[in-house]
This record gives sequence, structure tokens and C-alpha cells, in this order.
Amino acid sequence: MKAPGYLSVVAVVAALALVPFVTSSNVILNFLVIALLIALVGQGWNVLGGYGGQYSFGHAAFFGTGAYTTAVLQVQYGINAWPGFAIGIAAGALVGAVIGFLSFRSGLKGSYFALVTLAFAEVLRIVASVAPITGAGVGTLIRLDVRFEAFQFQSRAIFYWIILALVALSLVIVRMIENSRFGARLVAVRENEDAARALGVDVMATKLGAMTISAAITAAGGCFYAQYYLFLDAGIAYGPWISVEALLAPIIGGVGTIYGPLLGALVVKTLGEAAKHVTGTAPGLDLIIYGAVLVLVVGFAPRGVAGLLERLWPRRSRAPARAEEGKSRD
Amino acid sequence: MTDKRNTFSRRNFLQTTAVGVAAAATGTIAMPAVLRAQGAGVKLGVLQPVTGALSYSGQQGKLGATIAIDEINAAGGIKGIGRIEPVLGDAQSTPDGGNAEVEKMNAAGVVAIVGGYASSICLATTQTAARYDLPYIVDVGVTDAIVTRGLKNTFRFGPGFGVISKSALDNLVAINDKAGKPAKTVMIVHEDSAFGSGLAKLLNAQLPERGFQILETIPHPTPTRDFNNVVLKIKAQNPDIVVPANYYNEYVLLARTMQQQRVRPKAIYSVLGGAASSYKFVKEFPEAAQYIMDCNHWFDPRNPKALELKKKVEAQGQFYTYEVFMNYSCVLLVADALARAGAADRAKLNAALESSTFTGHVMPYGPTKFVNGQNQGAAPANTQVLGNDIQVIFPETFASAKPVFPMPPA
Repeated sequence: MKAPGYLSVVAVVAALALVPFVTSSNVILNFLVIALLIALVGQGWNVLGGYGGQYSFGHAAFFGTGAYTTAVLQVQYGINAWPGFAIGIAAGALVGAVIGFLSFRSGLKGSYFALVTLAFAEVLRIVASVAPITGAGVGTLIRLDVRFEAFQFQSRAIFYWIILALVALSLVIVRMIENSRFGARLVAVRENEDAARALGVDVMATKLGAMTISAAITAAGGCFYAQYYLFLDAGIAYGPWISVEALLAPIIGGVGTIYGPLLGALVVKTLGEAAKHVTGTAPGLDLIIYGAVLVLVVGFAPRGVAGLLERLWPRRSRAPARAEEGKSRD
Repeated sequence: MTDKRNTFSRRNFLQTTAVGVAAAATGTIAMPAVLRAQGAGVKLGVLQPVTGALSYSGQQGKLGATIAIDEINAAGGIKGIGRIEPVLGDAQSTPDGGNAEVEKMNAAGVVAIVGGYASSICLATTQTAARYDLPYIVDVGVTDAIVTRGLKNTFRFGPGFGVISKSALDNLVAINDKAGKPAKTVMIVHEDSAFGSGLAKLLNAQLPERGFQILETIPHPTPTRDFNNVVLKIKAQNPDIVVPANYYNEYVLLARTMQQQRVRPKAIYSVLGGAASSYKFVKEFPEAAQYIMDCNHWFDPRNPKALELKKKVEAQGQFYTYEVFMNYSCVLLVADALARAGAADRAKLNAALESSTFTGHVMPYGPTKFVNGQNQGAAPANTQVLGNDIQVIFPETFASAKPVFPMPPA
């Protein structure tokens, strides 16, 4: 089987990689780092929610686990940040697999699944706010140590390229999923679980696989956050804010599309900054404008920015065709 | 509400803090150069959480800072430097929001940043500012980790946890001893971020050493909108003293819920109670606030400048809260250091702050003296709400009333 669609990934990533050569402004780079971080976390959500149809409201559980694992390993056990980063991703994936196993085995779907994921994230938040290992409510502070070995960099550009590399990796993973039988099964489960099961798809394994990959990608975002800000508390790591950001980006950008989370994150964050830009000193006015524009975007582009672009410039639509193809193969 | 009296215009603000997202899209970024071209004087970052869960405190902090800047400018600016141009930033009550603002302020070419307010915001923002050797004056953030990380750019004008909790406990013991030791048991209600939890940890370690038994420690998130269950727990345990450590809204809600449920311990003794020594709270809910004691940042009531500032703030229809006089003092501190540095230069300003012996502030701290970024003279005062006013009950050198303890029955 040929693996189409990687060229666009390369093009998008290459274009973004050039940004630090165009501007040395740390304001812009910091802004893009945050946008890409949200894109990464959103891509994690997209694998499960967009391709698998399992809407999670609790991706903070994975984000926080990744972040805390990286931070706690460094602060409490003196483990280097680089392996800490990898262990953080693995820990996030493990939490995803466990939560997935427990909820899918109980047959939780739709809003029940959303609620149970939210509950898991909240439980982890409360545990982290009292457990001594996470620094309880005081939080965990990673020592400022600007060295490559400590995964800390003076230049924002390096952080930018690292988060971009992670986003690129997530794009490749999603493209691989799209091109694979696993992806076809996942879409089949999303479209009609019973029909997929009747066709011989192992629904449990498919959903669990998606949940684990999704959690790993989101956890990578958490690990990055810990290294970038060097401070975590329970509200930051496991708070509902990141669960909301994780689903907002793909929903605005286009659920179940490879570039949805990236587009969504860039649009949402740019909107936020632009609103701040025009409102000046009036506190909160930017947030009101931001909210209003968000409502309009969702109202007039229900399929997200990606859907809107497709409607404006119709072109060959590969993804659904491939999904159909995949279904017939299974 | 505080914006009505801002003297700087929207245009001014935009020019100084312009993010330039649009500019990024066109790839024509040269922001620092563009901003430098805006004129002489010196830019000072005023970073506060003016939206989000901490918005009230953030707006009060901004008020204090801008009053100081207006006063300095009205007097012709800083000698040898010129006028101060404020660069306002909203941390949105989150560390990453604060961090993004520090980046913008740095790009805008500020000479220093004042503010931060919450401990978690200060931890993140001081670190980012340290990347640029950008002097950062923490207004309130009390976690001691803020000044123990060896950051050369970070100066905390106010006291930290260690000093505050020691002072609070010393005074509590003194008050209790004087009344014949009627109080033996304590319950702590604290918010669960760096500030409340850090304090609860210290109190849990130190209260038993001083002969108090801690019945329970109850954490809650910020924001919390219902304290009925917390107060029911307090009612069930019936402690002699309730120690709340939380931000303004939660503090008010807790005190009101205690009043509603008729829970009246021998004392409500807060350590850094968000509202316990707030004129707003006393005016709006005088009954709930009555007899509440607090160990908190407090202005020097002997200082005419402090009283003048109080009048000025109240004339604007605002409340004279600790955020106001702390930030006011911090801006004056920077202005003094700038005048001594003789240039709007970050390295020189860091050095000038390090050797600062500033006395022109409105706090009872004496001349400033920074050791590892911590102002050594900084100390809290104990207050009690008596009648419709807030009286200082400790330290005795400037106390205006004797503590009323135990609280008389309702």
C-alpha cells in the first residue's frame, strides 16, 4: 500500500520551522509555542474524539500525568529531564490505557464516557493537590538550569522547534493512522459501533489503542509544559482548562481532520491575542469578544475551520474515500 | 471600574504592549525597534491578574501601581530619567498568562516589572524575567521559593511565608496567653494552590509545637462558590479557633456562611486572609467581619503619606486594600532605584535595587535591605475588625487598639 499525504505534512512543518528565521521576537515565539502546545494536546484529543468518536472531557488526566511525571522524576529522584520526558509520555499512555480499559469495558459511550473521563481528571487533580510526592498544593518547581542536558534552553527558538517536532510527529502518527487498517477500524467504530463489531472489528481493542495513542500524545504536551514553565500545581496539570483547550482546538479547527487541531489552535490563540490587541486596558473585554467570535465561528462553521476552507475551496476529499476503502477491506 | 481613572489612553497602551500577531503574519517583526522609537522616558511593566479568579486583587494592585506612576509623573518624572510610561499586562490569573505578558513587556523594552500578585504567577514570571535580566519586584507573592532560587533579578518587597507565619503564631500565642489560654483547638481552611497550601503546611508543623491541637485542615480550590459543607464540618468539630487562608471572594463567602450557620468560634484568626483586613469586606458585610483577626500586609498608620494615599484611593470610590499600598510602594521603590542607577539600564537597576535603602514607602518596614532578593525589614501586622473599622492590634509600637478575644457571643 502506498502511504499518501505525507508531503503536505512535510510542507506545513517546514513552513512553520522557518518562523524563527523570520522573526526573533520572543513574544511571537512564545505565542506560537503555546499555540503549538495546544495543537499537540488537541491532536491527542482528535485521535480519540475525532477519529474514534469518543468525546473525552478529561484529557487533563494525561496532560497532568505527563507533566508531573517529568517534573517529579527530576525534582524528587534526580532523573535527567530527557529520559524523564520519555517516561512521562509512557506514564500518560499507561493512564490512558487504564482509564480506557475501565470505561470501555463498562460499555460507557457518549456523554457517559465524557463524564467518566472528566471524573478521572478531577480525581487526579484532587489527589495531586494533597499528595506529598507532587508537592501537594504548593506544587512542584523544577530548578532553573539553562542547559541542554537539563532540557532547558535560553532561546525560545529551540523550545519552538521541539514543540514543532512533537507536533510534526503527531501529524505523522495521525497520517499513519489514517492510512492504516487500524484507522479504518477506528472510523468504522466511530460511525457505527455495532455494525463494526458485526463486521469482525475488535471494538474494545480498537478504542483502547486509540485511547492509548491519544493519551501518549497529550502527555507529551504535559511533559513539554513542565519543561517550559518549570512550575506545576494541581490546577495547572489536572485542571479543566487543558481538557477544554484540548477539545476546543480540534472542534474549532475541524474534528477528525489531520490539520484540524493545528488550525484550531492557531485560530483560537490568534483570536485571543487579537481581541486583547483591540480592547486595550478594559479588563476582560478581550475575553468577551473572544467568546462572541467563538460562538460565531462554531455557528457558521460547524465543521470547523477545515470544513469551512473545504467549502470555500472545494477539492478532492481523500480522507472519507480512504475510510470507505478501509471499511470494505475489513 | 478602576479604568475610569486611568490617565493613559488606549492608544498609548496599544503602542506599548502591541503584541504584533498581525505583524508576525506578515513577517515584518521589528518590535523592540519600533517601540523604542515611541519616545523618551522609561517603561515600567505593571503585571496583575486583572481578569480571572483573582481579578479583584489584580485590579486593586493595578490601581496602586498606577497611582504611584501618576504621582511621579505629575512631579515631573524620575530625576535624570524622565516620565514613567506604564505597560499594563493581564496575567489572567494563570502562570502561563503571566509568562506571556512578561515576554510582551520585555519586547516592549520595559526597564522593570512590578506585580504578579499570586505566588504561582510570581514563580513563573520571575523566572521568565530572569532570562532577560529584567528586574522584577514581587508585590505580594508570599511563597518563599520565589526568593530562594537564586534569581538575581527578583526582589520581594513584602514579607514571605516564613516571616508571616512566625509573626502570626507569636501574636496568636501572646493573645491567647493574655486571655488565660482559652483556645486549644484549631481548624484550618485554606485554598489549595501554592499560597494556601504552603501556609497550611507551615501551620500544621508549627501550631502543635505551640500547644494547639489541629482538629482538621480543609483545602478548597479557587474559585469555590459554596462553603456550606466546609462550615458544617467546622460546626461538627467545634474548634476554638478557625484559621482561614484564602483569596478575597472565598474568604468573604466563608465568613458569611459561618455567620449564616451561626458558627462562632472563640476567634477567626486568619493568616493572610484575603478579606480579613479589607475595608471592602468590612463595609459590605460588617456583621460577618466583626472581630475577625488577621495577620497580613498592612500600611504604617503613623506615616502621613500612607494616610494621604488612603484618602486619595477612597476619594476615587475605591477601597484601600493591601494590594493598593503594596504596589504603590513597589513602584516608588523602583523609581528610587532608577534615580540612583541614573539610567534606564536593567543591570544598573538590579544593582541599585540590591543596595536599596529606600524609606519613602508607606509600609512599616523601615529602610529596604535586600538579601538574596528578600526585603529584610518586611513584616506583617495583626489587625482586628472592631466596629466599622480595621484596627492594628500588633505590633504594639503602632497598635491602635487592644485585641478583643475571645469573641463576645452573638
